[in-house]
Amino acid sequence: MAEEAKFKCLRCGHGFTAPYTPKVAEERACPKCDSNSVRRLKEKKDS
Amino acid sequence: MADAGRHPNIELLTLSEVQRVDGYVGNFKVTVLKKARYVDEKECTACADCLEVCPVVKPDEFNLGLSTRKAIYQEFPQAVPAAFVLNMEDCLGNEPIACGKCLEACEKRCIDYDDQDKEIELEVGTIIVATGMEVYDPTELDEFGYTQYENVITSLEFERLINSGGPTEGHLIRLTDRKQPKTVAFIQCVGSRCEKRGNPYCSNICCMNTIKDTLLIKDHWPEVQCKVFYMDIRAFGKGFEDLYKRSMAAGVQYIRGIPGDIYEDPKTKNLILTAEDTTTSELKKHEVDMVILSIGVVPPGDMDNTQQQLTLQRSADGFFLEAHPKLKPVDAATQGIFFAGCAEGPKDIKDSVTQAGAAAARANRLMRSGEVTVEAITSMVDPELCTSCGICARVCPYNAIYVDTKKKTPAVVVEAACAGCGTCSAECPFGAITMRHFTDEQIMAQIEAILAENAQDKIVAFACNWCSYPGADLAGTSRLQYPPNARLIRTMCSGRVDERFILKAFKLGAPIVLVSGCHFTDCHYINAVTWTQKRIEKLWDKLESLGIRPERLQLDWVSAAEGQKWARVMREVEQLREAVTAKEIEHTKRVITEDMLKKRTKKVKAKAEAVA
Repeated sequence: MAEEAKFKCLRCGHGFTAPYTPKVAEERACPKCDSNSVRRLKEKKDS
Repeated sequence: MADAGRHPNIELLTLSEVQRVDGYVGNFKVTVLKKARYVDEKECTACADCLEVCPVVKPDEFNLGLSTRKAIYQEFPQAVPAAFVLNMEDCLGNEPIACGKCLEACEKRCIDYDDQDKEIELEVGTIIVATGMEVYDPTELDEFGYTQYENVITSLEFERLINSGGPTEGHLIRLTDRKQPKTVAFIQCVGSRCEKRGNPYCSNICCMNTIKDTLLIKDHWPEVQCKVFYMDIRAFGKGFEDLYKRSMAAGVQYIRGIPGDIYEDPKTKNLILTAEDTTTSELKKHEVDMVILSIGVVPPGDMDNTQQQLTLQRSADGFFLEAHPKLKPVDAATQGIFFAGCAEGPKDIKDSVTQAGAAAARANRLMRSGEVTVEAITSMVDPELCTSCGICARVCPYNAIYVDTKKKTPAVVVEAACAGCGTCSAECPFGAITMRHFTDEQIMAQIEAILAENAQDKIVAFACNWCSYPGADLAGTSRLQYPPNARLIRTMCSGRVDERFILKAFKLGAPIVLVSGCHFTDCHYINAVTWTQKRIEKLWDKLESLGIRPERLQLDWVSAAEGQKWARVMREVEQLREAVTAKEIEHTKRVITEDMLKKRTKKVKAKAEAVA
């Protein structure tokens, strides 16, 4: 099931949320600059 | 079809389904499930004695429910083999026998209630995928009233309606009163060329199908008025423009504009269409007796199965993707597999026949030679370094690597099936696989040469052979301006770009590394590009953990036609490069060297412990 995840563009620095399905490879692009250097921001686990 | 059925070298397996495909070009093993027909197809002469006595009445699927069939029937008039089939789900005569009338009526004793499905194993050299298409279901388009108003039908239903072998024996009637309509409206592009509903692509065949239908109407029933509502008429084939002109000359009215809604007069059951004629900007109402929705085509529902069985690629529209649109238009990316007809995209009969001929010729060329010449870019396994972990086999898009992880035998590459993407080599954690002509040493040497002088001024860019490299080439031949300090390293696929290449570049002082490949839907190695993305995502995490800004590793998908994009990416990446300081580069060099040393020490220790 697709869930929402936070992404950050490593080209322009734009942060955004987009649907994300674990283990499913999808082509992603930054909605602002159209770069494909889009990194999913993983939530840090509380220690 | 009849010719194929009679041909001594063609074995037709009807009522059959492919269950499994193993092997590779020249050595495919195909498991087929031949479903029970319950009628001996060799003995049955389609005399129809059984049909006359069968009491079951069901909607006829071939005539789209516009007529009925029996439980025992011939699927369509020209079916090959010309034998009946018994649909056991509809039949009353099985377990316990409650009917059995067909059995009694059949003089030749062709009917066998105990017939069973059979599994057949075939060994074949090549495979041609001709799985066809389905038509778009326009029910979701409320404004056209399909299924709401009986006199709104689809172009395929109309096709059956006016066919001489169809439910009305070729008489044009409308469904509510069974009278000949006086005015017929065709609406084009239903389910096609729409981003929001239906499909964004042009279905290719609908315009000419409508023109043909209008000519048929005008030839047989000249008094019937025809109106065609369209966006554009795409009559681009040989002789098609003439046909279009003939249709206009015959009095068919072409109105440029798609009706916004349709409603029915409850008394007359006539349909009222509201549409703007965009050539005159006039909004008009049109009252017609019958509306025909010119529906588009869609990929068949079971494409996923076929795709998995044959390791095929699909384009964004859902149809199968050819290996190369210009140079290999009927070949699949997997060697020995070819496409014919609408499996590859919407096309008319002429194009389907042309493609089928080409596919047969391509297959024949392979089969006649009896051997396959592979490009010298396949992967090689070093059995001494291989630990039989099985990662290479898991990532191979072509299933070209066999590893027995239980018996711990080294990986074996089937060279005839290997396409040379290099994903296995990049993913192998033990460096046991390398690629012919794209060896680690060769690529490392290129990185070293690029960064030998003024490393801080360079952008190291890995570009795949099929998309990004030609994209960069196009930018050059189009004389697009972009910074000249990018140094390209060509690999067959971005999947070949090993983590070690990127780390090596950073270690040697590269300020920025760009990895570039095909868009996911264009990947020339099925899904190898997805492994590139996964690897880069892991590397971003690693760089961050080492205190290196992940922004210094860039990723972009650039197609061969995207010269403009390549130039833009290079300009943007150059801006990032300018922001990388000398101090940052020195820090990167140091941490990567330390990390590599740490790993090496760990490895040596582990080896020493193993020996002890």
